[in-house]
Amino acid sequence: MRSERAVKPGRGGDHRTALLFLAPALTVLAVVTVYPAIWLFWLSLQQRIPVFGIARFAGLEHYQFLAVDARFWNAFRVTAVFAAASVALELALGLLAALALRAQRRGRRLAISLLLLAWALPAVVTAKLFEWLYHPTAGLVNYAIGGRQLNWLGDPGLALPGLIVADVWRTMPFVALLCYARLLGVPPEIYEAAQVDGAGRLAMLTRITLPLLRRVLLIALLFRTLDALRAFDLMFVLTGGGPAGTTETLTVYAYRTLFQTLQLGFGSAISVIVFLTVMAIAWVYLRALERDEAAA
Amino acid sequence: MRLDHNSAPLRLARFAGRRAAGGLIVVALLAGALLAAACGRPPAGNGPVTLVFKHAKILGPTDPVADLLRKFEASHPGVRVKSESLPWTTDEQHQYYVVNMEGGGTPAFDVLMLDVIWVPEFARAGWLLDLTDHVPRAELAAHFRSAVEAATFRGRVWALPWIMNVGLLYYRKDLLDKYGLRPPETYEELVGQVHRIRVGERDVGLDGFLWQGKQYEGLVVNALEALWANGTSLLDGDGRLFPDPARAEEALADLRMLIATGVSPPWVTAADEELTRRAFGNGRAVFLRNWPYVLDLLQQPESPVRGRIGIAALPRHAHGIGGAGSTGGAHLGVHRQTRHPELAAALVRFLTSEEAQRTMAGGVALNPTRTALYRDPALLPSHPGFPEIYRLTLAGRPRPVTPYYLMLSATLQPELSAVIVGIKSPRDMVRQSRARVAHMLRDLK
Amino acid sequence: MKAGRAVRDALVLAMLGLYAMPFFWQVLTSLKPDAQLLTLPPLLPARLTLAHYDAVWAKSVMPRALVNSFGVAVLTTAVAVVLGLLGAYALARLPVRGKGALMLGIVASTAFPQIATVSPLYLLMRALALRDTWTALILANTSFALPLVIWLLAGFFREVPEQIEEAAALDGATRFQTLRWIMLPLTAPALASAALLTFLISWNEFLFAYTFTATEASRTVPVALALFPGVFEVPWGDIAAASVLASLPPILIVVGLQRFLLRGVLAGALRE
Repeated sequence: MRSERAVKPGRGGDHRTALLFLAPALTVLAVVTVYPAIWLFWLSLQQRIPVFGIARFAGLEHYQFLAVDARFWNAFRVTAVFAAASVALELALGLLAALALRAQRRGRRLAISLLLLAWALPAVVTAKLFEWLYHPTAGLVNYAIGGRQLNWLGDPGLALPGLIVADVWRTMPFVALLCYARLLGVPPEIYEAAQVDGAGRLAMLTRITLPLLRRVLLIALLFRTLDALRAFDLMFVLTGGGPAGTTETLTVYAYRTLFQTLQLGFGSAISVIVFLTVMAIAWVYLRALERDEAAA
Repeated sequence: MRLDHNSAPLRLARFAGRRAAGGLIVVALLAGALLAAACGRPPAGNGPVTLVFKHAKILGPTDPVADLLRKFEASHPGVRVKSESLPWTTDEQHQYYVVNMEGGGTPAFDVLMLDVIWVPEFARAGWLLDLTDHVPRAELAAHFRSAVEAATFRGRVWALPWIMNVGLLYYRKDLLDKYGLRPPETYEELVGQVHRIRVGERDVGLDGFLWQGKQYEGLVVNALEALWANGTSLLDGDGRLFPDPARAEEALADLRMLIATGVSPPWVTAADEELTRRAFGNGRAVFLRNWPYVLDLLQQPESPVRGRIGIAALPRHAHGIGGAGSTGGAHLGVHRQTRHPELAAALVRFLTSEEAQRTMAGGVALNPTRTALYRDPALLPSHPGFPEIYRLTLAGRPRPVTPYYLMLSATLQPELSAVIVGIKSPRDMVRQSRARVAHMLRDLK
Repeated sequence: MKAGRAVRDALVLAMLGLYAMPFFWQVLTSLKPDAQLLTLPPLLPARLTLAHYDAVWAKSVMPRALVNSFGVAVLTTAVAVVLGLLGAYALARLPVRGKGALMLGIVASTAFPQIATVSPLYLLMRALALRDTWTALILANTSFALPLVIWLLAGFFREVPEQIEEAAALDGATRFQTLRWIMLPLTAPALASAALLTFLISWNEFLFAYTFTATEASRTVPVALALFPGVFEVPWGDIAAASVLASLPPILIVVGLQRFLLRGVLAGALRE
């Protein structure tokens, strides 16, 4: 850990400089990031519907309602399933892709470009892409699986899997790159030595590669879980939360409440729950990472 | 230690610093120019007066509105009318209006096309100009009464009726005639006819009854019609949801049964007006529930079902008195904070005038709100269905006229979708919806 | 052995090409004439057409949306990078009370869900009469771009050996001069990465843009694409063309500037 002691000469001036340097960034952050976060909690305690001029303090009413709201619990379940399935698939596929890339001799730059394409696209573009792919009669997916006219985005049993596939497609490259970058730092002598010792491919994978990737996989797990919990763009544009709320995550439920009907208080309560869930999971993961680092 | 200003690195620094400063100035200027370009709005009062008219894209082969606007400009020298289109779905249009008009500020438009269900909400929110004094009583009487009532809030008129809609049952006259059937009066009859025709035609790909089941406002309309067909309604006089839960559950269960038994294809749960129109227009179905605009489109020369369709009232269920279609349509309103209230009101009156509505009805499938036009000799040749549509419009019922309709609809859409898709029972849906709506409307009474 | 390796390499490339197929399919769709769009097979059209691009360019709001997106992304990047490098340097090298807590707070704020800040920001923009302006979007995008940039850059600044700065101080340079003439050139690649990453996420941003923009005056590309109008039926060809146009800057960044981009993204993540 690099020391952060200030350079010795000019100590007093350094304090002032530090404040000067930090002030603009901190001011902006205070206004657009911190203040809104605090305000959100305050909003969630109010019943606020600007269209009808309603603004009154409501205490914990919204939370009490959400506790027994079937639509909320459905959204909670959808979010959990979406996050778990997406992250699991991304990690598995990303790892495979990274291993394949590592073994690549020629055309690595092209390979990475092809892979990163999916990651770079705006989520809205991805949504339109998959909306077209999932088209019942003219979509490539139905064509590829033998011409059955599955109604991917309209069937309550197929919409969520379809959404998860789209999300995995666009986020797997990130995990792959993370693992790939870590693998690049591994000297090939380790593998050569293992080969000399008579280790098979599988053993090399499980005994050398995976342990080396463990930390990176944990980091990827952290990032991707948080992103999956906060995801909005893809499901909003691809399915709008339908059909019948089978792809309505907490974020979509909150957004619809906030901006379709401008129920700012109630929608904020749902957002608070998303916020707390995300921060709680972030905290749990970070502790796990710390413990992992301490143990290493 | 003092800074040696003549040391080589610092001389280099000063030189480069000046160039960097120059570069920073250029970037700042560029940024400023971009900002100014973005935020700048041409000041008002320079040159011709421009009215902005916001409306949804007109469905049809031609756009008569553009011609009408040119006519208005010709009769009002110095006035330009700029036409801007809204997002595609009514839900997105509503969100657009809400985000734009809520909170005040300079209006981005002067005249707006409104779905009839938004008028009480916008009126109550104070976003519309009171048009009562701009329009004589006699002019209002020329329109359908339900259309005028839907735009009346607290005794004042807030928008003028522009386009009329009513839910209709379309049927394949040729198929029904072939089996000696008349348009069904009850849903039981409809289902029986579908079976008979399908068996007779030996065409398993022929769909029975198409309607709009996607999770959007259209679904609420279809559900409303099903409720009315069973002799109950969505709200009672006191604003209570599902005042007769038993009948409501029955009606919803029947909707679900249509899909479960295959009378309606499963993709109906993701279908909107256009999707169902296309399928019916390609001859793939026997019955269709849709708006009047479909009739003109299906009678176009290239239409495969030209001359083979008929319209009728929607069927009823066992308890219903007579199927009533939901009335709807578009109204024209004026933004409360427009800078040209008189001109904007004049534009609204012009567009809803008899000649304008006649032009629109003549060009595309936009049914007028003026009752006289349904007997107009100039329109009847090209619109032989007008007398029937007129009769059905009179028998139609409006959706609940309340400022809270949108909130209600947004709350019910996912619930209804869950029922027709089969993942929630009608009983649970009715119970949960009542609780949710009660919570939502608690402050609004 | 060599042949086997070449075959394996080619196979991997082919599979990755297949992975990117959804995008290539969209490009193909954008060049397919309307008549052949809705029938499958055949996969490949008899002829290609630029009609969709023409329609999108001439008749839709995409050109204006592209300008809006570009302006907002450039200005967001400028603000985030300038404020970010000042703040990051301070946090990395200068004495600041409560530095640890501050850094933790900044890192934590990169995890804030957008849905959490959108309703208060909506009220804020409304109060400041900033609805439907670039400024609203720049402020909103900065809310998540700035913490990210500070976090990335602080890490890079910390890796520069202290001796270099001490030498500069001995020469009499102020902190600002040290930053400007020593640190910046040394970390220029990292700065470029941070700038490109910020541009990318600003270009792709949807939730805030959808909420805070109302007309073509400030509507960005993702919003324009989501609200793409269709008259009779969904214009899949036009939407495909618009999608391709919307994807050009991100693709350029990722393919052309791969090295720069990866350094920023990977370094930030790997330095845990």
